[in-house]
Amino acid sequence: MRSKITGLFLFQVFLCLVTITLVLIPLFWTDIPWPTIARDHMENFGMAASGARNMVSAIYLGYRVFDTLGETIVLLVAVSGTIGIIAHGGDVLAKGFGDPSRNESLYQEKTTLVKKQRTALLEVVTGKLGPVVLVFGFYVMLFGHLSPGGGFQGGVVVASGIVFLALGGRADGSTRLTEAGVLAKLESISFLLLILASLSGVVFGGGFFANTLAQAGMPEVGFIVLLNAIIGLKVGAGIGFMCIAMLGRAE
Amino acid sequence: MIERMLLALLFLIGFWGIVGIRNIIKKIFGLTIINNAVVILFILEGSRIGNQVPILEEGIENIVDPVPQALMLTAIVIGVCITALALALAFRLYRHSGTFDIDQIHRQVHDVT
Repeated sequence: MRSKITGLFLFQVFLCLVTITLVLIPLFWTDIPWPTIARDHMENFGMAASGARNMVSAIYLGYRVFDTLGETIVLLVAVSGTIGIIAHGGDVLAKGFGDPSRNESLYQEKTTLVKKQRTALLEVVTGKLGPVVLVFGFYVMLFGHLSPGGGFQGGVVVASGIVFLALGGRADGSTRLTEAGVLAKLESISFLLLILASLSGVVFGGGFFANTLAQAGMPEVGFIVLLNAIIGLKVGAGIGFMCIAMLGRAE
Repeated sequence: MIERMLLALLFLIGFWGIVGIRNIIKKIFGLTIINNAVVILFILEGSRIGNQVPILEEGIENIVDPVPQALMLTAIVIGVCITALALALAFRLYRHSGTFDIDQIHRQVHDVT
């Protein structure tokens, strides 16, 4: 019986490998060069059309901004799901294991063990480094149209700054940025701002995600900077919230 | 060619991590490795044309293709979402079974039902 199951498992693994090979072999053996049409278009017209020097920012906040909206929604759903699973939804999942509190003591034991391993070095270094990382994150976020970076990249740097502050902060806490409630509100507000920014074109007779700032006489690139800032805040708050919850401070 | 071979090797390492290792956390690592292999493959293929960063400063020409890079930005974010959700599920499983070993968890479920 046991060997039969193992054989079936190995057969499934073999089938997976054959499928992967069939998909990947054409990719490896191809000699067709990568098409240059998109690159040439971006190089010649991208900067005039969007105003941004960074072509990646120009694509994901200009040409393909609907995709970015969907991406932020996916991130929002993932953060909600993670928080729900970690903090609140435990009893539903635990029904498959009978008594939900069966191994609770073991879990508590290991958690206190982890708490004992925190050192003064960790707290001092992360506490001092946190604000610097936050400033760097905002720099990456706001200069995303000129240099490597953008909303998502700056957002994750801000999130790591928040994690640093949470690791290094004392109990009294000089900042409220590491509180789960504040981060949740920040994320909701940034998502609302993103929706409002996307709908603002409709008021002035444009389409969804029309560039209202350019219509109001400001430089073309202003809309990209605005979207970068909003997305950066949202990603930073969302991922920071998720990490704070995983540190066990959501309750 | 050799780069593609190495990336396929990276992909297969991640695949082995998912199917061959019993620890849930290491399975999630395998998922992340597969995600990264695909991301690197796209960046590599997009850089076959051109050799400059796609940031149009003065005098920059012959840039790499920025489209795969923007595409992979999306893929990275989705990968982070998947990893976070999977880690949260693993946390729940650990909290109620006391182990990360998939066989032991399976046995516990089997005992209960």
